[in-house]
Amino acid sequence: MTDHPPTPPAGDRSARLAGLLERVEEQLADDLVPVEIFNDEDVFRGEMERIFTHTWVFVAHETEIPKSGDFVQRRIGLDPVIVTRDGEGGINVLSNYCRHRGTQVCQTDAGNSRFFKCPYHGWTYSNTGELVGTPMLQRAYGERVDPTDWSLLKAPRVESRQGFVFASLSEDVPPLDEYLGGAGWMLDLIVGLHPDGMRVAGPPDRYKVRANWKSAAENFAGDVYHVPNLHASGEQVRMAYGIDGAADLGRSYEFENGHNFMGHAWTEVLGPDGVLWGYPPRVKDHFDLSELDETQLRVVRDEPPTVGNIFPNFSFIRVFSPTVPGGPLVAFTSFRQWQPIGPGEIELWSWQFVWKFQSDEDALEDYVTGQFQFGSAGIFEQDDTVAWEGIARAGASPWARKAEMSFHYQQGNKSEIDQSPDPDWKGPGLHRLTGYGEHNQLNFYRHWLKVMKGPEPTDVKPTGAAPTGVEPAEVQS
Amino acid sequence: MTATETAGGLDQLLTLASQFLAREARLLDEGREEEWFELLDDDILYVIPIRQATQPRSDEIDRSAYRLRDTKAHLRTRIDRSQTGLAYSEVPPSRTMRLVGSVEVTGAPQPDLVDVSSALLVYRQRGIDPHYDLIPCRRNDRLRLTGDGVRLLSREVVLTETSLTTPNLAVIL
Repeated sequence: MTDHPPTPPAGDRSARLAGLLERVEEQLADDLVPVEIFNDEDVFRGEMERIFTHTWVFVAHETEIPKSGDFVQRRIGLDPVIVTRDGEGGINVLSNYCRHRGTQVCQTDAGNSRFFKCPYHGWTYSNTGELVGTPMLQRAYGERVDPTDWSLLKAPRVESRQGFVFASLSEDVPPLDEYLGGAGWMLDLIVGLHPDGMRVAGPPDRYKVRANWKSAAENFAGDVYHVPNLHASGEQVRMAYGIDGAADLGRSYEFENGHNFMGHAWTEVLGPDGVLWGYPPRVKDHFDLSELDETQLRVVRDEPPTVGNIFPNFSFIRVFSPTVPGGPLVAFTSFRQWQPIGPGEIELWSWQFVWKFQSDEDALEDYVTGQFQFGSAGIFEQDDTVAWEGIARAGASPWARKAEMSFHYQQGNKSEIDQSPDPDWKGPGLHRLTGYGEHNQLNFYRHWLKVMKGPEPTDVKPTGAAPTGVEPAEVQS
Repeated sequence: MTATETAGGLDQLLTLASQFLAREARLLDEGREEEWFELLDDDILYVIPIRQATQPRSDEIDRSAYRLRDTKAHLRTRIDRSQTGLAYSEVPPSRTMRLVGSVEVTGAPQPDLVDVSSALLVYRQRGIDPHYDLIPCRRNDRLRLTGDGVRLLSREVVLTETSLTTPNLAVIL
């Protein structure tokens, strides 16, 4: 058994990738996903070139860099980027490679600085990325090195939603709000119910997991089927209740561009106590619901999102939980990012979020409870890491590849549960009244395939009749 | 004059602390969590703060940010969970070897309290992993000397790594 992907055969690797994607397309038509996409050098390289450098990727929350000069070092795919708050209050996303020889100009995870000076020869950049200094200018260069040409690479598109800063390394993307679509609508409901919003409780908790980033993303897209099994211990120690119903109470939300959320109908089992994620009154009494329409009210009251994934690699979880067995109930909120390191390795970055209006004491309780459940020491997340590592090993398996093994995503085919989209749903995307069906996961992979294959004539949406079959959530009403 | 200010007192405390740290490491390596739990004070606070690469170095450890911040009830729950047989990150339990060193008595704020700093390197091989993980850290502990023996009153684990190379902290440090 190995953690490492096999070396791809010699030859045209683009052609090999195209062949793999053909197989993915054939298999996805039957709700199957080939194993090799979970640990393959060519697939991974393709993802870096076609996804992570071409779409909106989360980089930071504005509360991490509140003051002028604040910065955090982040990643967009494999690229280290510096996210800065400049003197004008603007946010910049800069490549961390010096333009002179490439050495990283920022060697720290976070801090406050107006400048970044490369340790190698001393080329110096402002926190907007502009080249402002080259040592021994007259003797070395004779004239000023033109910052127009020699400033740090800068993400051409940087936009925020609810304080979540996203950047795109490609100019050619739709506005963030358009890209997020229904996921932005959901983000508003998750963190926008109080005018002050939420803040990070601390810097991210970071740990390496030998898993493929897609395994984590699809799990958070809405895999509630795993909860009663993998996390049964959580209920046995009374840190969770009724987890056998995780899929039955599930309420899926499928959006365009591969974004997915899963809600839970907590009120069906908890009654009025279950409204608004089961938050205790000291939190939910502060929420302002006056601006919400009927659909939004239904979501936050009765079917609030508990997990979700914004394509490609930014996820969310909010679950109510006792602080300790038998303790008072709180609800914690974690956003997390699956940083791709290699075909079979991620760095898991997890932030706990708390409401800005909360007292320090209340915020600490939510923070500590969230970390006790989801984080490197979280009693739920610990077990997820083991499951996901197993997937990457299967993806590297010579036998599985030889046998052209695929994974089973056919839960929607013969189930006795009605999994059809809710005909009364008036919100964005598709809504289903169950957590069964693996529909969200398929929505994720169908979008992944579409982006990996790139634009083709058949992808052009016909005017008039909506396309059918390929990717339901892409259909705009 | 406190115990640490006399050479004899210091030797005595160092021996006491070293014996305590060695015993708990062995209990944990041997899967004897219940016996380890008996060594905890009822008021224990067990904390692993978040560490980042920063300049100046004094900003590295954010003591308001946590990987975990456990009371005795949290630790009880972790042990209970491991005993369900369903805590899959540790089914079967990792083979571990805790190497404790550089034990130093750093203070004795009260006659019944001893502050101890130690280095810990945990070798961990999980399940059927083809590889092993190393978890290096330094621990700042406060021990309480009671009529029933030494108890762990507080522990701060300062991880050496900013980003862990083990996939979870399902082992006690």
